[in-house]
Amino acid sequence: MIIEGEHTFKGPREVVYDMFNDPNALATAVPGMQKLVKVDDTHYEGAINLRIGPINASFAGVLSLSDENPPESCTLNIDGKGMAGFAKGVGKVHFTDLGDNSTLLKYAGDVNIGGTLASVGQRMIDSVAKSMIKSGLEKLEKTLEERWQQK
Amino acid sequence: MTGKYFGQPIKRLEDKHLLSGRAKFIDDIEIPGMLHAAFLRSDYAHAIIKKIDVSEARKHPGVVAVYTAEDFGDYWKPGPLQVPPPTAIKGSQFNARTLVPIAKGKVRFSGEPVAIVIAESRYIAEDALEDIIFDAEPLPAVIDLEKAWEDTSVKVHDDLPSNLAALVKQEAGNYEEAKKQADVVVSRKLYADRVAGAAMENRGFVVNWDERNQEMVVWATTQAPLPLRIAIAGKMNLIENQVRVITPFIGGGFGPKIMTSQADDVLLPWISMKLNKPIKWLEDRRENFLATTSERDQVHYCEIALKKDGTILGFKDVFYHNTGAYDPYGMTVPLNTQTHTVSNYRIPNFYTEIRMVFTNEMVVTPVRGAGRPEGVFVMERMMDAAAKELKMDPAEIRMKNLLKPEEFPLKTGIIGQDFVEGVLDSGDYKGNLVKLLEMVEYEKFRKEIQPQARKEGKHLGIGVVAFTEGTAVGPYEGARVTIGNNGKVSVATGISTQGQGHFTVFAQIVAEQLNVKVEDVKVITGDTNHFHWGAGTFASRGATIAGTAIHNASVLVRQKIFATASKFLGVPEDQVELCEGSVCVKGKPEISISLGELAGKANPMRGAVEADVKPGLEATAYFAPPHGATGSGACAIIVDVDPETLKIKIDRLVLVHDCGTVINPLLLEGQIQGAISMGIGNAFYEKIVYDENGQLLTASFMDYLMPQATDMPNKMEIGHLHTSSPLNPLGMKGVGEAGAIPTPPAFVQAVEDALIEYNLDIADSNLNPSMIFEYMHRSKK
Repeated sequence: MIIEGEHTFKGPREVVYDMFNDPNALATAVPGMQKLVKVDDTHYEGAINLRIGPINASFAGVLSLSDENPPESCTLNIDGKGMAGFAKGVGKVHFTDLGDNSTLLKYAGDVNIGGTLASVGQRMIDSVAKSMIKSGLEKLEKTLEERWQQK
Repeated sequence: MTGKYFGQPIKRLEDKHLLSGRAKFIDDIEIPGMLHAAFLRSDYAHAIIKKIDVSEARKHPGVVAVYTAEDFGDYWKPGPLQVPPPTAIKGSQFNARTLVPIAKGKVRFSGEPVAIVIAESRYIAEDALEDIIFDAEPLPAVIDLEKAWEDTSVKVHDDLPSNLAALVKQEAGNYEEAKKQADVVVSRKLYADRVAGAAMENRGFVVNWDERNQEMVVWATTQAPLPLRIAIAGKMNLIENQVRVITPFIGGGFGPKIMTSQADDVLLPWISMKLNKPIKWLEDRRENFLATTSERDQVHYCEIALKKDGTILGFKDVFYHNTGAYDPYGMTVPLNTQTHTVSNYRIPNFYTEIRMVFTNEMVVTPVRGAGRPEGVFVMERMMDAAAKELKMDPAEIRMKNLLKPEEFPLKTGIIGQDFVEGVLDSGDYKGNLVKLLEMVEYEKFRKEIQPQARKEGKHLGIGVVAFTEGTAVGPYEGARVTIGNNGKVSVATGISTQGQGHFTVFAQIVAEQLNVKVEDVKVITGDTNHFHWGAGTFASRGATIAGTAIHNASVLVRQKIFATASKFLGVPEDQVELCEGSVCVKGKPEISISLGELAGKANPMRGAVEADVKPGLEATAYFAPPHGATGSGACAIIVDVDPETLKIKIDRLVLVHDCGTVINPLLLEGQIQGAISMGIGNAFYEKIVYDENGQLLTASFMDYLMPQATDMPNKMEIGHLHTSSPLNPLGMKGVGEAGAIPTPPAFVQAVEDALIEYNLDIADSNLNPSMIFEYMHRSKK
């Protein structure tokens, strides 16, 4: 499953980048995320509950960061599994400073899914992923607003 | 041949049980203390198993036992090869990698079982599956057939040099020489896509090891109760009659239920004996899609060489056949494809090559048609391509090349699934097509209906194809017919039944010989304690092979009735005749003895017994044909295509069929209609899809689309020819798969004809609206 898109944040690039490296910010942004705990500087362990059509199941996994090039880009890797299958993916995230204190986020990733997720959920998973990303970005937008205003 | 009962349109005797909810199905089997099984299945298509931790699952309340491959010790072995390798075909290669009951070390397809939980209820068993930690390291999946064939491909079986499961080359005549004489040579790459059996009822298995009686009773939804009994007895080191296999009523077979080496078949008897408990397992729909079996995944490279007038000189077909992760069913399916590619037309030179490959997908075994639809699809598509090239009418080029009745029996020069050279026994293939063209009013459609529809902006198209169905294959079946003291008759045979109507047609065969009412004939199928020799229900052989054995046994009982009655009525044998339910003296019907009374007398008491006593009005007989009988037919489809939405309505479907002598025209019609609906499903609705990682994307009826009643033709018409087969005394040929075989090529041809301005060249057997849209889009470019 290919996931790609872009989003403009109203905030400077450094703040946006930091937010993407903050597990608390991410944990509250992703719908259904039960926990996200920092293991070390680049690894997080998490648990998430997903609803995809007839599937309602929890997944546990690891989120890791690599190729970090702050505040410009980084790579996100996810590797999770649960009773309803597994997901493994790599995503490139790129931040462009648009000048007027706004930042363009571009993301492109490829996620492999397996098990019930694939065999029963594949028809819905694209739209579920899109809606999760949309609501996640909206949440992050709010977080950003608060953070930037605090500064 | 039509008699008092044989050949009559008698309504199905079993339906009063089936339709009123009184039939016993496998889930109706309840035994006190019965435990329930659930399988943990791999989500990965290809992976190294690192660790399976079942310790938490074992502690789950209500769980009795949890097993992985290691727990079965030496009992764990790859299953038997269900059909023998093709030793008869010179130079053929075959690598047997039979199904393993539960994955050990490595997982080879998504859905392969890796652990089994036995618990007090299925709910508990399923819950406990969540407690198992399955740790595996995924490997790249082998999916694309042609890439899998390359030496550089990732391997499904590490101990083999490649993914080659089989390589078979056969040639009749000399294709390359024929090609040199040809005016035109047309080549195409064609695809036959994969479909499921999708029976209404999934598989099920109940086993009870009775320690005190030292007997194992198995209830199974199998198409092959006797081979299953042999397999279980062999694995459990029991003598065969310590194992009783019973098949209750079954909601459809369609092929995948022929297997006797699935996880449940192998593991549950062992567990039942170990725990000394009855165990039940019922397959759910997702398991059925993922891990039973399915069929038809081939890629063909074809070439046809012809003269300008449309005469076929030769045909060449090199094809890849997907066998899935294992090949327990040998080469039956691709061999059927080879034999059916050239079974209609006069093709003096034929080269055919099977490249059977292992992939990380579920195992391929027969599904209604078993290789035949692929062979017919390929041949018919190439006839269409040739007709286009030569600017001939599709019906005309077929008529020109169809075999004539006087050419039978015809040896094809190609060895088939029964490992003897193919012989087409009888038929009137041209007659089928002539009748079809009349029924569908082909001329009128071409000259009036289609042009008129075009003027009105309607896209009507017609497809016309011919086909054969190899049926009634060996090895043999048997039956025992017994007249009871109450005058009723029982007949027991070794095959099992999945809804075909055997309880009716077998009764008709017996009733005809013994002149009893069909309602008075009790048919017993699929209980190894009642009859313990035979092979099973597949390849349209139930009514033909078991039916002939039943006929033979009935003839023997009839002779015995005459001999016994002659003695008791005191007249010569030629002076007695069968009155309904009794035997009477010719011309003096008042002097008679009822069959029940005669049966009692045939069981002699002290004083009346003779030295060579053969008690009872009973006889057992067998039937083994030298080779299969070939049914034939022709099919026309008229479609109405909406070029905007690509919604397709089938206006008419006409099928002419020749299965020789007919036992029951009503049931024949039903068999053909049922198979046509499957053929329509295969052509435009059903499709099994794997992604590039070996994940099955169609594991529920949300994604695997079954045709509905509303998708059936506005008009479905069936015509019949009756060319008796010389291979059995009743002249029968099978019909079970017929409707499913010609439907996809006729449908594809009709769609091309309806969209003639796009000049489509459709290569796929299974279409859907978006695929046709893509074809149109590509064609426009």
